[in-house]
Amino acid sequence: MDEKTAMFSFAGLTFDWSVIISTTVAMVIVFVLAVWMSRRLELKPKGKQNVLEWIIDFTNGIVDQQAPNSTGRGMKFYIFSLFMFIFVANQLGVAFNVNVGGVTYLRSATANPLVTMTLAMFSIGIAHYLGVQKLGFKNYFKTVYLKPMPFLLPINIIEQFTSFLTLGLRLFGNIFAGEMVLSLIWQLAVSHGIATMVPAFALMLAWQAFSLFIGAIQAFVFTTLTMVYVSEKTEVEE
Amino acid sequence: MFSNLFLAGASEQLALGNMLFLLVSMIVLLLLLKKFAWGPVSKMMQDRADKIAHDLDSAEDARQKAQDLESKRQEQLQSARTDANAIIADAQTAAGLQRDQIVSDANDSAQAMKATATAQIEQERVEAMAGVKNDVAELSITIAQKIIQKELKLEDQKALIDAYVAGLGDK
Repeated sequence: MDEKTAMFSFAGLTFDWSVIISTTVAMVIVFVLAVWMSRRLELKPKGKQNVLEWIIDFTNGIVDQQAPNSTGRGMKFYIFSLFMFIFVANQLGVAFNVNVGGVTYLRSATANPLVTMTLAMFSIGIAHYLGVQKLGFKNYFKTVYLKPMPFLLPINIIEQFTSFLTLGLRLFGNIFAGEMVLSLIWQLAVSHGIATMVPAFALMLAWQAFSLFIGAIQAFVFTTLTMVYVSEKTEVEE
Repeated sequence: MFSNLFLAGASEQLALGNMLFLLVSMIVLLLLLKKFAWGPVSKMMQDRADKIAHDLDSAEDARQKAQDLESKRQEQLQSARTDANAIIADAQTAAGLQRDQIVSDANDSAQAMKATATAQIEQERVEAMAGVKNDVAELSITIAQKIIQKELKLEDQKALIDAYVAGLGDK
């Protein structure tokens, strides 16, 4: 996939317009949705408030399954925001792929490995931070790196990196592959005029439905794994 | 291939700026969401949970109170019934006593009246007898005087007087 993207440099760092635009659009959608749904709150909820509370209950459920304790309570907001952002970003690429002159400006932010790795870094970083905060550095080191046997230290260190890599790459792979297939179907559609347009339309429909499903599943998996890592590092194994 | 994928089109340079941008914007999103959406909603949800818990507590309280009242009422009803029974029993006893009293009083007074009547009758009988005796004596005497006035002669009475005097001498 050698899609061209518009790049620019600022203060010695390379920025990528497609990522910036996609991320910003996804975040704006999340923010506007959440704020719109949380207007005119009532003790007896109805309509959009019910939807928002259902989402919150769902993400709270993810947290409570892994860490039903004070650490979990602190994580609920982060998990909710993370879930909303990943979900919206995943679905964005299913609906839009804005391509001007061969340069992509808007797609799934999560189809970019750097974005997903950054999210993974965020999550893993929080997990380690909470581990140290809750157990103290000594216990944290023992729990995370010296269990179940001290001689497994090297494997445990590698495991931290692999869990970080898999967390980011799983999300990236799923969404990127989904978009890739969508663009392949698009190329098929335009290759031989109306003859391929009709079957490609049906294919596109089916694959978009599947991508919606994948996007939801991946958002769920990412947040669940985040909580798994957090609870792994904040609970002393007996 | 892998490096090409990994760098995602950044052939010259890894787009590290993207990471920085995402980190900053993610933090901004978190802050905004917390202030405008999460805060109010989770507060509302907490309020609701509190209200439900409070309502359940007060319902339990009310139920308890109602039960207490019910048992107290039952108790009062029971004691009222017991009191009523006692009162009725007392009244019956008192009535029985009074009845016996009245009957015995009536008996006594009847007895007394009977005795008085008997005594009076006896008295009257005696008086009547006495009256009759006097009358008879008087009548006899009167008759005797009448007879005596007519035919009394000393010679006729001589033997009787003698016999009487002889009788006195004998005694």
